[in-house]
Amino acid sequence: MNNPKIELLNVQKTRNGTVILKEINLKFISGKRHILLGPSGAGKTTLLRLLNRMDDPSSGEIFYDENNIKNIPILELRRKVGMVFQIPVTFEGTVKDNLMVPYRLGVISGNADENELEKALELSGLQTEYLGRKASELSVGEKQRLNVARALLNKPEVLLLDEPTSALDSESANKLLHSVKELNEVLGLTVIMVTHQLENARLFGGKIIHIANGTVVREGEEEGFFLNSLSSNMS
Amino acid sequence: MEGSNYTLFDLSYLDLAIGLALILIVAGLSRWQQLKLEGELVIAAARTCLQLLAVGYILKYIFTLNHPFLIILVIVVMIVVASRTVKGRQKKQTRELSYLVGFAMTVGSGISLFIATQIMLQIKPWYEPHYLIPLAGMVIGNSMNGATLAVERIDSEIEARKMEIEAYLALGATAKQAAGKCIRAAMKAAMIPTINSMMVVGIVSLPGMMTGQILSGTSPIIAFKYQIIIMYMIAFSVAVILHR
Repeated sequence: MNNPKIELLNVQKTRNGTVILKEINLKFISGKRHILLGPSGAGKTTLLRLLNRMDDPSSGEIFYDENNIKNIPILELRRKVGMVFQIPVTFEGTVKDNLMVPYRLGVISGNADENELEKALELSGLQTEYLGRKASELSVGEKQRLNVARALLNKPEVLLLDEPTSALDSESANKLLHSVKELNEVLGLTVIMVTHQLENARLFGGKIIHIANGTVVREGEEEGFFLNSLSSNMS
Repeated sequence: MEGSNYTLFDLSYLDLAIGLALILIVAGLSRWQQLKLEGELVIAAARTCLQLLAVGYILKYIFTLNHPFLIILVIVVMIVVASRTVKGRQKKQTRELSYLVGFAMTVGSGISLFIATQIMLQIKPWYEPHYLIPLAGMVIGNSMNGATLAVERIDSEIEARKMEIEAYLALGATAKQAAGKCIRAAMKAAMIPTINSMMVVGIVSLPGMMTGQILSGTSPIIAFKYQIIIMYMIAFSVAVILHR
């Protein structure tokens, strides 16, 4: 139950001589929701980007299912560890064209199964009627859901979300968080979400990891207690 | 030549000084218009003079010696300088890029030079410097311009499409797939000047080599045949470099 899906050992990240992350030791538990919480510039996104090798640490090791991620073919790792960015990215064409991208890239072998596309859309909280709509014409919230759906098609084991609600209004943000929470509960997906908003952390629940000045200040399960004690530290 | 009494007039150093006077007038204009280009202009004019003078004498020496090793060395120097120039144009300068461009230029220029000098012209000996050096200079110079354009464009495309590229990568795309659009845009941008010059050659512009040949008394017919070959060589060489 408490198997670490991803484990970081003494991870450090330096950029242009500045230490962004120092001495990070963390475990992300399989099938659990995790929140990387902290103020802007704390190093949360930098940490998240190390987990699917969008960036590599300057020193230290990262393990995925007990294998050093450097020994896992990078494309395989990225298929297993999906990522949704702060600002949703849509490609040219319809929602369906966007969902077909992993097939077109050859990340998923075989032909696209319409049922799979519809299932991914529904899991992300978009109706199947959206398939024929132009992706560029969706609202930001819908685009973000489309990004989640597209990531789901790769059947990831872990989903990384980098401030996924920051561009959304509160209603769309709540809906998205709810959908992602369901993905964790229904599919057993390990979820790691970056946020600087306490409210999002409260809504999302799970294990909370407080990061400030590039280090893990505190981590814990007791959300209520934890958040209350945290609120005085957050600006 | 071809029955005409054509003589190629030599230029004295006094003639060159008259040419320099024109540059001084341009510098004066720059100062008058407050363009602040005088300094650069004078340096550029001085470099033109010194570099060409030096190359003129070096080439004269190489032509006299007529040794294949020296001729190959000249071409290698051209490729190295061109590769370094291309590298210098990229924001994130890497040694790999310099090697890659150098390799691509060697392959692209090498193939087109081989075809032109050994199959079409069948020069004897194979390293005949009067042919090999100017042809290599033109092909490498133009390839360098193509590669520079490509490198500059790919930088700006990647910057502009950073989020899209990252989204592709996060989905499991290879780097080549993720940057596919940027690569295509850069290749197009780099090929356009070559295609444009092929479109208007002879109508809008008389290229340097053809002009030079005509000035030195070669029949315009021969000159245009050479020019056709060189343009095709350049197009081929630029395309090969871009595909690396």
